[in-house]
Amino acid sequence: MASAKSPSPPPVQSLDAERSVRGASYLNRTAQTPDPWKLCAALEYGGDRSFATAVEQLVVQTAPKDWPKLEQQLLSALALPECTAAGRAFLCRMLALVGSAKGVPALAALVRDPRTADAARTALEVIPGPEASAALRDALAALSGPAKAGAIGSIVARRDTAARPALTRLREQSAEPAIVRGTAARALQYLPTT
Amino acid sequence: MNPPASASPIAASASPAALTRRRFLQRSSAATAVVAAPQVVTTKLFGQSAPSNRINLGLIGAGNIGVAHLDTLLGLKDTVRVLGVCDVDRERRESAAERINQEYGGKDCRPYADFRELNRRREIDAVLICTPDHWHALNALDAIRQGKDLYIEKPLTLTIAEGRALVEEARKHGRVVQHGTWQRSMKRFHDLVEFVRSGGLGQLQYVECLIGANNRHVGATWQPEPVPEGLDWDMWLGPAPWRPYTFNGCHYNFRFIADNASGQMTNLGAHCLDIGQWVLDADRSGPVEIEGHGDYPSSGLFTTPTRIDVTFRYASGVPMYCRTDLAVSGNNTSRFFGERGWLDIGYSKMSASDPNLLREMQAPNKRVKVPSSKNHYDDFFAAMRTRQRTIADAETAHRTTTVCNLGQIAMALGRKLRWDPAKEEFIGDEMANRLRSRPMRAPWSLVADLA
Repeated sequence: MASAKSPSPPPVQSLDAERSVRGASYLNRTAQTPDPWKLCAALEYGGDRSFATAVEQLVVQTAPKDWPKLEQQLLSALALPECTAAGRAFLCRMLALVGSAKGVPALAALVRDPRTADAARTALEVIPGPEASAALRDALAALSGPAKAGAIGSIVARRDTAARPALTRLREQSAEPAIVRGTAARALQYLPTT
Repeated sequence: MNPPASASPIAASASPAALTRRRFLQRSSAATAVVAAPQVVTTKLFGQSAPSNRINLGLIGAGNIGVAHLDTLLGLKDTVRVLGVCDVDRERRESAAERINQEYGGKDCRPYADFRELNRRREIDAVLICTPDHWHALNALDAIRQGKDLYIEKPLTLTIAEGRALVEEARKHGRVVQHGTWQRSMKRFHDLVEFVRSGGLGQLQYVECLIGANNRHVGATWQPEPVPEGLDWDMWLGPAPWRPYTFNGCHYNFRFIADNASGQMTNLGAHCLDIGQWVLDADRSGPVEIEGHGDYPSSGLFTTPTRIDVTFRYASGVPMYCRTDLAVSGNNTSRFFGERGWLDIGYSKMSASDPNLLREMQAPNKRVKVPSSKNHYDDFFAAMRTRQRTIADAETAHRTTTVCNLGQIAMALGRKLRWDPAKEEFIGDEMANRLRSRPMRAPWSLVADLA
């Protein structure tokens, strides 16, 4: 039981009044609220990633009919000059979930550069359709060494039988390093013949 | 169309040869990989104390679990010899190799910085894989292709696609695989399975798996740190996405980082869900519907759920729940509820709604019989010699690990998912299907030939 000296409980605020206060506060902050897509692009290893968590929740909860809009937002963020390695990795991981042929040209440019190829393959390896397969095949001509071996792995993961001629050439190409020739040879064992 | 989860197998290259013991172990082809139930024969029957009959092992990963295995293996000198230890952390591999050589009184055990070198040492018959989860599939595939049998820690693989590729490769090369789900070799779990499947609880109503949460919080942000002397950080990351080194993101704690593992869902879940799978007679199938919720840290280094709550529904109609329970922290337990009461069986305790149920459970001569193993190592060594299946073979391991991964995907997506265990694909959820595999950082892949 409360003693006579106990402080009085605070007055009960009506729910409507509380909403009103919160709403006003939110509206006052909106002008300064940073763009979460830009923050995702500028993500740093070890930095606050709470906005990326919110974006990820949005991505996984979005219905397929709304994926094109989401994909466009991700692609726009990916094109920002301030996009970091951590940001690119995150955005490509989100594109892996909702990406389509529309996003392939941007990813195709990234997969041809060994510095960004791993992130791009995160999305290209699972985006359905022939466009993504073609982007990975085309990347073989631009990449070398380990990055090329990685692209071969993505091609096999997609079971892209159209890559057999290119892989056969790589297997036979004495100028290629062993890592590429060996991976191409094993890829040909895994890929169906038709 | 989505790319398929599984990879095509490559043809087994083994050929019949003179069956010396060593050659038999190393070159057994798919034709010699029989499919009968395991027969547990104590290793003493094989006369293995002669050096030529000992099994030679290589240890890949000399961290907490690897060293725990070593503690046991060094006591089995008449049965096995550990000839190689691989770890990307120089201090770990060198101290383990030194300890082994001191124990054996020789210099036969060599430290390796690269698992591929260990896998190519011809005298080694089998490898124990105790690396972080993101390495399991590649360590295993390379070993299988080099003709080694595997004892592989749980979870079998990081993804569903990796698991299927491993199963197919082991089958084609006729390799023996023992998964580290050692609860299958404890009598109480064997008794439980036969009892419940024989109707001992009456109609089974549901299964509940409780796992602890030790995903401790290490802050909302973290700082990249210099890589410690002797640690090959690039090789530690291997196929996982690149990130800078930080102390809390490496040994042990990797399991709480989604790029490297799937938290307690696959760590402790691999044990208790495995027993659930066994009881439900689902070692060649799995659930058909999964719904889950997880509490994910919104920021910070750790990215796997701190609390999990997943429901798996099987075609039989029996649900299996998997939940975080802080009361079992660091442990796990499986509970089985039926018409006659309940049984709560963990590796360190067991209880029941009625003591008579426990007595009945432990009684012999049940109507339904399942394969048994009295010791997980002995079962593995016996299977290596006889080319029989182990108690936790590759397909069983893959199915259990798939259940864990289905739970992880259901929590990540936060919606009900339907699963086709035969095709190993989600029904009507393209996003979920894209999560069955994960691209690997170059040059690694399931077909990488980097030897």
